[in-house]
Amino acid sequence: MIRIRDLVMRLPSGGRPLTILDGVTLDIGAGEVCAITGPSGSGKSTLLGLVAGLDRPSSGSIAVAGVEITRLAEDALARFRRDTLGYVFQSYHLIPTLTAVENVAVPLEIAGAPNALGRARDLLDDVGLGDRAHHYPVQLSGGEQQRVALARAVALDPPLLLADEPTGNLDSATGAQIIELLLALKRRRGSTLVLVTHDQALARHADRVVKLHDGRILNGAA
Amino acid sequence: MSVAFSLRMAWRETRGAWRHFTVFFGCVALGVAALVSVGTLAANLDRTLAREAKTLTGGDLELRSARPLDHAERSALAELEGAGAVTTAVREVAGMARDPARGSTLLVELKAVEREYPLYGRVQTMPAAPLDALLADRGGAGGAVVEARLLERLGLSVGDPLVVGAARFTVAGVLVREPDRPTGLVTLGPRVLIAGHALERTGLLQVGSRVRYRTLVRLPAGATPRTAGADLARAIGDPAVRVAAFDEAQPGLRRFFAQLATYLGLVGLASLLVGGVGIASSVTTFLRRQLSTIAILKCLGASWRTLLVAYLVQTLALGLLGSLAGAALGVATQPALVRALAPFAPFTLEVRWDTGTIARGLALGVLTALLCALWPLLAVRAVPPSLIFRREVAASEWRVRRPWAAPLPILAGLAALAVWQVGSLRLGAVFLGAALAALAVLLSLSRGLVKLARRLPRMPGLAWRQGLAGLDRPGGHTVRVVVALGVGVMLLVAVALLEASLGRQLAYEHKRDAPAFFFIDVQPDQREAFARLVGAVSGGAAPALTPIVRARLAAIDGAPVTRELIDRRKQESPDKIWYFTREYVLTWAPEPPSANQIVRGRWWTPSEASARPRVSVEEEAAKYFGVGVGGTLTFDVQGVPVQAEVMSLRRVDWQSLTANFFMVLSPGALDGAPATYLATARVPAAVETALQDRVVAAFPNVTAIPLRGVLERVGEVLDQISFAVRFMASFSIAAGLVVMAGALAATRYQRLYESVILKTLGATRWAIARAFAVEYACLGATAGLGGTLLASVLAWIVLRFVLDTPWTLEPGTLLLGVLLTTVGALAVGLLATVRLLGRAPLSVLRQE
Repeated sequence: MIRIRDLVMRLPSGGRPLTILDGVTLDIGAGEVCAITGPSGSGKSTLLGLVAGLDRPSSGSIAVAGVEITRLAEDALARFRRDTLGYVFQSYHLIPTLTAVENVAVPLEIAGAPNALGRARDLLDDVGLGDRAHHYPVQLSGGEQQRVALARAVALDPPLLLADEPTGNLDSATGAQIIELLLALKRRRGSTLVLVTHDQALARHADRVVKLHDGRILNGAA
Repeated sequence: MSVAFSLRMAWRETRGAWRHFTVFFGCVALGVAALVSVGTLAANLDRTLAREAKTLTGGDLELRSARPLDHAERSALAELEGAGAVTTAVREVAGMARDPARGSTLLVELKAVEREYPLYGRVQTMPAAPLDALLADRGGAGGAVVEARLLERLGLSVGDPLVVGAARFTVAGVLVREPDRPTGLVTLGPRVLIAGHALERTGLLQVGSRVRYRTLVRLPAGATPRTAGADLARAIGDPAVRVAAFDEAQPGLRRFFAQLATYLGLVGLASLLVGGVGIASSVTTFLRRQLSTIAILKCLGASWRTLLVAYLVQTLALGLLGSLAGAALGVATQPALVRALAPFAPFTLEVRWDTGTIARGLALGVLTALLCALWPLLAVRAVPPSLIFRREVAASEWRVRRPWAAPLPILAGLAALAVWQVGSLRLGAVFLGAALAALAVLLSLSRGLVKLARRLPRMPGLAWRQGLAGLDRPGGHTVRVVVALGVGVMLLVAVALLEASLGRQLAYEHKRDAPAFFFIDVQPDQREAFARLVGAVSGGAAPALTPIVRARLAAIDGAPVTRELIDRRKQESPDKIWYFTREYVLTWAPEPPSANQIVRGRWWTPSEASARPRVSVEEEAAKYFGVGVGGTLTFDVQGVPVQAEVMSLRRVDWQSLTANFFMVLSPGALDGAPATYLATARVPAAVETALQDRVVAAFPNVTAIPLRGVLERVGEVLDQISFAVRFMASFSIAAGLVVMAGALAATRYQRLYESVILKTLGATRWAIARAFAVEYACLGATAGLGGTLLASVLAWIVLRFVLDTPWTLEPGTLLLGVLLTTVGALAVGLLATVRLLGRAPLSVLRQE
């Protein structure tokens, strides 16, 4: 599903380039649940972001579902994300001016799906938030916001789910519910799931754990 | 905690936020630029008028009358001459110039001068030669110096013969500059200078002709013009001879420029007001960003006063910098304004900077900045130190409570500044009232838009939903953009509406009842031949001939109109004094004029008319004279008093441009008085030129005034004025756009964040741009709608109360106003945010 080769990411930082990823090579199979762990600053989130095409690597290649995404143009990348993946953030990133149901409907609308709002409501029911559909993000608790974000991520049944510390901002009980929900959603759709986390409880659910340190993979890749 | 700390904080807080303050800076600069621009123009006009006053008047003293001076008046002058004064007579009259070779004719303003002319200044001619040499007779024909315009229109050149009235002239030179050009803003035609004795030969000096007699006086050294003028006025007595010292002459010109400067100043002040909205909004945004800094400083023990002082010092410094830049811009734009207004000034306008104006512009800029910043800055007091513990909630949730009385001193301060700028309590109050009303309308409209965006059933489609939701962003940018942009649009559209309405008034084609020509000075014995000729040329349409007698108002209800009375009334209403001093054109009629409406009293019956003289008076004139039905007016008709009883008051539609009269007398009242005839003729456009040429050839003493040409010239003047007003209004539109760019910059981070999330969810740049476009278009359309709505009201007020002209709905102009504002807002908005669309999502999300 994912094929990463010699991935390097450098960012300018106070005049000197800072190496965040330093030659990462990794393969993740279809349907696999892969957890990426490591201390903060090890490059986990950057790796996930690059897989989603949210930024461009300094060098190396990333193929997702057979598509070399490092060569895609800006808008082609946007379409790739739309068609291929769902993304869950640590801090939810809901659009503050839209209600819960509207937030879930956004990817459906971008894709031009019919009855976007109706389907978004069904998705909210799936995550147990049917009664909070018309609340704005600020009116929802952290766990509720993350559930909305989950519903949004799976709205288009993407073959690949990416989750960046999905429980990082939540207490352990709520975190556990979210993990439960995330895995259930993945199972129902048979998608591939890549998680960035330093929550050991979450990592235990993974088929494989990849450890990152200083931009390099510690345990054997692939 | 000291002043030094405040100063240091002011500097530190500014150092890191240069980019943020560009909006503040731009708003102050544009407002001050507008004011300095108008102020410098007004100062230069004043200075030039003062310096050129003698030249413009033509002497230290000027005597003006509609009749030649009589014996007693001339001996009063002779006394002055005996004391060393030099005098010269100038006569001015409208007449027809004709090219004898081709027969084409043109209405000209004839001016006959004597050898001593001009007493001050110099007549510039081409070829350059002494004026009396150019005007001297050669081979039985007088010399004429004419404006280049006349040569162009008649296809003549220097050396060609020219007929004026019944006399032959030779074009001896081209008039380049005439020192004492009378400054009717609209001239009837090009100037023709001839020698005094040659005027008698033209036959234009008949009884009843409208001749302006001027006598110019150069006093001996040491004499005071004001005193000498007052003495002379006392000696002459008759108020029909106006005596003015050089510094009180040309009141019309002074008034015109003073009013123009005032109106332009109001438009400039509006720019500063728009700037004020920008200042307040930019300070609000700045403060929101500084909330945690303020909270931290308070935790460390800084008092709110210290912090307020720091931010006020910052405002002061930035206000001063912005004002300086604005003053420089205002001076730099002078040439454009001067070029627009140069055609009205009978002298070269200077482009010089004026210290007083600049100082006042700086003061206005700094004070406005301080006052407008004070309201948002008062929030400093309310920031709780505990805010640092809950930054998450801070920015959008936190609400300020300010003392309820705080806006009062701020408003009072702004009012004082407005009064100071316009120089009149009444006008300042009117301006502030209108500004507040406009602000209230725009505020409620923008609030309405936000509410509507919130309440509207959610639109299908991302662009519409996201765009409309964007209007309700925290931070209230919608309100700021609509208010600031709306005021600018209001001014520009109001100017466009006024232009359109006045243009409609001036379009000859729209004047269904207006004649093509006014023919003046048709003598009684020429009546039949004249009517036959006009009928023949125009295909049967006979001219309407109205008898007229020129007279002066001598007494009201038996009380004589004396120089003392005029001087007294001049104190109250200097711009209406002409009701007393003008020469009245009297007519008589058995029936009321068709376009007039009797508002008081009634028309006379034939028996009433034959019993004794009666008069029907125009209502405004009657109001000024304080005369009612049953009162009497006495006219001086060539020295013969005619007392008439006022029987009715009439409302006259002066805009109708037909033959209208202030005074209509009963038939028989003017029997025996020397009458001439005023003829009006409606002819097809195709024969207008032919008719004018044929009439002038047959009746050299008759003057033809083509209405179409006069209206066109009035239109040209209006074009120049509206350019100047538009120029000033463009400052406020520019300020409005700066405010908009600033408000969008303030919401930049939210936009960036949203666009990045949307991108992560798979939205293309085009899809995001569409959502922004919906938002900007809504902002622009609302500002455009509010602005055009207010512009219509403003235009109606100006037309109704200032110009006394009917208001017409101009749907095209209004629609264009809304459309252009929408497009402008779209363009500025997209330009301000296009860079956001290119940002890679990961770096933005990582910062969250």
